[in-house]
Amino acid sequence: MGPDRLDRFLALSAELTAFDVVELAGTGESDAYLATVDRIVGTGAVDALLDAHTAISEPPGQARDHQLRHSMLGDEFLGPLARNVIKLWYVGIWYQLPRSWREVNGARDGDVTFTISANAYTQGLLWPAVGANPAGARAPGWASWTEPPRLAKL
Amino acid sequence: MSDTSTNNDTTAKTDDTTSTTAITTIEALHEYLGRAMQLEHATIPPYLTALYSLHPQTNSAANQVLRVVAVEEMLHLTSVANLMNAVGGQVDLTAPGFVPEFPTYLPDGEEDFQVNLACFSPATLETFLKIERPAAAPDEARRLMPARRRTDIMVTAPGDPELRYYSIGEFYAEIERGFNYLHDRHGDQLFSGDPTHQAGPEYYYSGGGELRRVVDIDSARSSIELIIGQGEGVGTGAFDAENELAHYYRFEQLKLGRYYQLGDEPHHPTGPDCEVDWSAVYPTQTNPRVGDLSGFPELQETAVSFNRFYADFLALLTKAFNGEPELLIEAVPKMFEIRNKATVLIRNPIPGSSATHSAADPTPDGPMHAAPTFEMESQ
Amino acid sequence: MRFPTGAATRTDLETAAERTYDAVVIGAGVSGAIMANELSTAGKTVLLIDAGPGEDLTVKGYESYLETFYRQAVKDNQSPYPRNPNAPMPRSVDIGPVAPGQPETSGYLVQPGPYITDTTYTRVLGGTTMHWEAKTPRFLPEDFEMNTKFGRGADWPIDYDELEPYYREAERELGVAADVDSQREIGLPFPDDYVFPMHGIPLSYLDQVVDTGIDGTTVELGGERLPLKVRPYPQARNGVPNPAFNDGEGYRPVGAVGTHRTDEGERCQGNNNCVPICPVQAKYHAGKTLAKALQTGRVELLTQAVASKVHIDPANGRVSGIEVKVYYDPDDPAHETGMITGHTFVLAAGAIETARLLLASDLPSTSGLVGRNLMDHAYLLNWALLPEVAGTMRGTVCTGGIVDLRGGGFRSGQAAFSVDIHNDGWGWATGAPYTDLLHLVDDHNLFGTGLRRDLATRISSQLLLAFMVEVLPTETNRVTVDPAYKDQLGNMRPVVSMTIPEYSMRGVAAARQVSKLIFQRLGAKDFTRYDPADPSYVEFDGEGYAIRGGNHLAGTHIMGTNKRNSVVDANQRSWDHENLYLVGGGSMPSIGSANVTLTLAALCYRTAKSMISELN
Ligand SMILES: Cc1cc2nc3c(=O)[nH]c(=O)nc-3n(C[C@H](O)[C@H](O)[C@H](O)COP(=O)(O)OP(=O)(O)OC[C@H]3O[C@@H](n4cnc5c(N)ncnc54)[C@H](O)[C@@H]3O)c2cc1C
Ligand code: SF4
Repeated sequence: MGPDRLDRFLALSAELTAFDVVELAGTGESDAYLATVDRIVGTGAVDALLDAHTAISEPPGQARDHQLRHSMLGDEFLGPLARNVIKLWYVGIWYQLPRSWREVNGARDGDVTFTISANAYTQGLLWPAVGANPAGARAPGWASWTEPPRLAKL
Repeated sequence: MSDTSTNNDTTAKTDDTTSTTAITTIEALHEYLGRAMQLEHATIPPYLTALYSLHPQTNSAANQVLRVVAVEEMLHLTSVANLMNAVGGQVDLTAPGFVPEFPTYLPDGEEDFQVNLACFSPATLETFLKIERPAAAPDEARRLMPARRRTDIMVTAPGDPELRYYSIGEFYAEIERGFNYLHDRHGDQLFSGDPTHQAGPEYYYSGGGELRRVVDIDSARSSIELIIGQGEGVGTGAFDAENELAHYYRFEQLKLGRYYQLGDEPHHPTGPDCEVDWSAVYPTQTNPRVGDLSGFPELQETAVSFNRFYADFLALLTKAFNGEPELLIEAVPKMFEIRNKATVLIRNPIPGSSATHSAADPTPDGPMHAAPTFEMESQ
Repeated sequence: MRFPTGAATRTDLETAAERTYDAVVIGAGVSGAIMANELSTAGKTVLLIDAGPGEDLTVKGYESYLETFYRQAVKDNQSPYPRNPNAPMPRSVDIGPVAPGQPETSGYLVQPGPYITDTTYTRVLGGTTMHWEAKTPRFLPEDFEMNTKFGRGADWPIDYDELEPYYREAERELGVAADVDSQREIGLPFPDDYVFPMHGIPLSYLDQVVDTGIDGTTVELGGERLPLKVRPYPQARNGVPNPAFNDGEGYRPVGAVGTHRTDEGERCQGNNNCVPICPVQAKYHAGKTLAKALQTGRVELLTQAVASKVHIDPANGRVSGIEVKVYYDPDDPAHETGMITGHTFVLAAGAIETARLLLASDLPSTSGLVGRNLMDHAYLLNWALLPEVAGTMRGTVCTGGIVDLRGGGFRSGQAAFSVDIHNDGWGWATGAPYTDLLHLVDDHNLFGTGLRRDLATRISSQLLLAFMVEVLPTETNRVTVDPAYKDQLGNMRPVVSMTIPEYSMRGVAAARQVSKLIFQRLGAKDFTRYDPADPSYVEFDGEGYAIRGGNHLAGTHIMGTNKRNSVVDANQRSWDHENLYLVGGGSMPSIGSANVTLTLAALCYRTAKSMISELN
């Protein structure tokens, strides 16, 4: 697993989540997430996902989104994988792949719904995305709740 | 001199108002208190860096010790601000040079170490032990010693850079003598500050120690003694009067692998095991600089924005200490935000870098990780 | 707060069985811990027995609860607490789909149905307060006189004024944060100079949004017009100490419990996780009182010990001993059995377990009321999206609510209720925010910026109103036992039969109307939906509602004025067994619309006082 592959995984993840690479790596979970996807669906499938992403050449904008939907998110094989990558970053959980995917591509060992690690939960990006903290972790501090939430400008 | 078990009882000594003091004017007292604030603050970045370098969900013992010590340094900082405000001084945490450039010297009785911004490691822990080392001067004559090195050390005697204190505890003992001396001369006139500038207990607490309003000589003395007792534990043994363990001994638990329990003699804890996993640490760059990240714009921007946030935090504290203590409530969530921002940096490896450690150093090798640089723009 | 090292394992069954204690207390929850602390402080020797795992309360142990919680993909309200087949506890996730006519047996509670409750309690050291939410309202004076005032339910044998001084003791021990004026406004009398240990916890931004939106709204109940206003809840969590407390002595908040000196446990940091576990122990839990009790040196703690049978001397009805089963490992049924003796016995195992133990012991009961009159609040959830981002998912689980409908003349016709504004959004009702993420990714086909934006607006504007509806004592709502259902140690499991009485269902129906009105005033989009397949689904007057369990269990050893109308007297002493006290929610003849724990703690202080004078 060369660093190059990790970089590509981070680039893909940044596009899927709208968090930048430093924020993603700042969770401390980059290696663990890539390893999880590799372990469950195999490096070949992950490479296909990374290649599909790299192949998209349009600059950011509607045309690029269109391509992303057609060759990746709307691809019967790659789509569920891409969506699972989003969920990993957002809540630290690997969700069992959809039944239709399993029926076509075969069930994979370890493909059950589980939290990657305690840290993965606490680093879920869903909470910063909604201006909050994951319940029971990364507390925002006394009386912070009395103020309106601060949401990042996108 | 490094034998820390020969503590003299400085409490008795400082109560002796007839002993000589270097602080004979209110201006001198202001200057000493200004130094004290700088000193209290200077330990916070190193403690926070070490704290946030711990891998999550590991090193529960180190995590607690570092966290509590850092929080208590905030208490000390606020206590000194109260002392300063009580005697009509000016508090400014945004002044150029207030935040030291790391590595920096701190006094310890010997010129044997500098303080780094570094990840948690045996060497870092040694430094922390030195910072908090309980050390009372063997005799009155040696409480002020000639400085043998450069003048950027923190606890030189204000006004005379050639003289420096034997320890942080001695430095505070001098301040207490100054308060006593000036109180003898001026009576309660000394406490001419606006009492509404005082931050009271409602703005701070953790398990130990309380923030006190300083309005008279008694509250001034008890605030100073709290700082001395919580930090280095001069003259009071491992536990202070409220049965709280001084910082030095908290750190020592990590070194010795055992917790103290009440009644233990210094250096001989007999409580439960205290486990440390030295390898569960992000190997951060030591004394990092924003400039080092020039090849990595996103990472550099993150480091810059951390410093900006930290500068804003110091500005907020400055406002709070200048008559708006209720802003301290607002400062609390900011501290948690500092944690979030620091951990993002610390979990980011610096692309292409590598950290190798000697066989004796259990810190993991691998790419070096970024860390907050605490470089303030004014510098 | 220091927990003496080794206290959880110092005594074993053999040693304990040889001694005769002044008092034997079953259950180390808040009730048992207060009893043990009061009795031992008065010089009495106490054996405290708990069914939960026998480890000292350490910060590390606490962190392992937290880590277990972090690792669960489904974070139900028992998720930090590992499964223990030797002392099982109800878990909402265990409840399976129920076939009509068949009892629900997959959860720990056996439930004949048709209504199935998802109520819970916890069997670990510290009991259910390890995972409670820590709202601590007092009961209203009228709650003690339901029959006299409204011709409904039962009166207590004591009134509010009688309990008032003990409320203050309970508020000191639990460390309650509240502003006394806000409590006076809702009709609670306090001594003139009283202040709570800590200032009130400030209202969340969400509360403020709701309060502004409903400003000026009133509702009509039983011919009375009642105003709606968002008010803060008193809470047992560390806030800002009030220097005026206790005649100017002030209050020192109690931090985390551990065997070595730590200074964890400070002010509430807004972790939004009070249920099921507060990461920094800002929230009160009974371990804090337990540690104090153990420090007296007169309390011994026997853990992993399940009280299994109460033995009676047939000559005088006095308890002669309690049989306990001590297991070695939660997963292994191997255990030893021993008999514990003492001068007095206190059962503090929680309303369901105390009743279960008495019934499993097959004791004679003059009133026949043991296990009957089981009460729990009926919760009706209502959820909507606010038209603006309101900062949901921040703060303590609940800072404010609408409590103006807790009392009034309407109670002669229908149940009272209070309304919690949930700072944790739709979580309880829908599994938010996880379900929102799945919905937006899988169904709305969002990613990148669009996903982030929709997540923020959808989750941050969630409003969940939980209506806590009063339930009156009804003899057919009850706990029984059945030898057909046993746990791994061979103890009979509780069989729980509950239906929501019509009086409460009228309250539920009114609650739904009030929620609609609030949503209308706020311009909030109502997403409330009750699933007929939900085992807790109840139909009333042509409408269906899902009624969630309230975890405020009470009534199973009801308190009264004589041995025919009740199980215990006003001191919680058993009418039938002179040296047996049954303490906790089980003694309550009513639960109004206030969370029960502060009141059961106050009752314990009162009981302890009378027990001590009895023992002297
Ligand atoms: C999710 C949730 C939220 C809640 N929120 C609130 C709230 O906000 N406000 C409020 O007032 N109340 C709340 N409650 C209710 C509150 O937790 C209980 O009322 C309170 O904890 C009861 O205390 P107790 O000591 O009587 O019983 P418990 O806390 O249940 O303690 C009983 C103890 O007995 C032990 N035990 C049980 N059986 C045996 C046996 N056979 N032998 C030996 N030991 C035994 C158990 O291990 C346990 O330690 C909540 C409850 C839940 C579940
Ligand atoms: S909000 Fe958090 S810190 Fe506060 S009591 Fe709840 S869990 Fe604890």
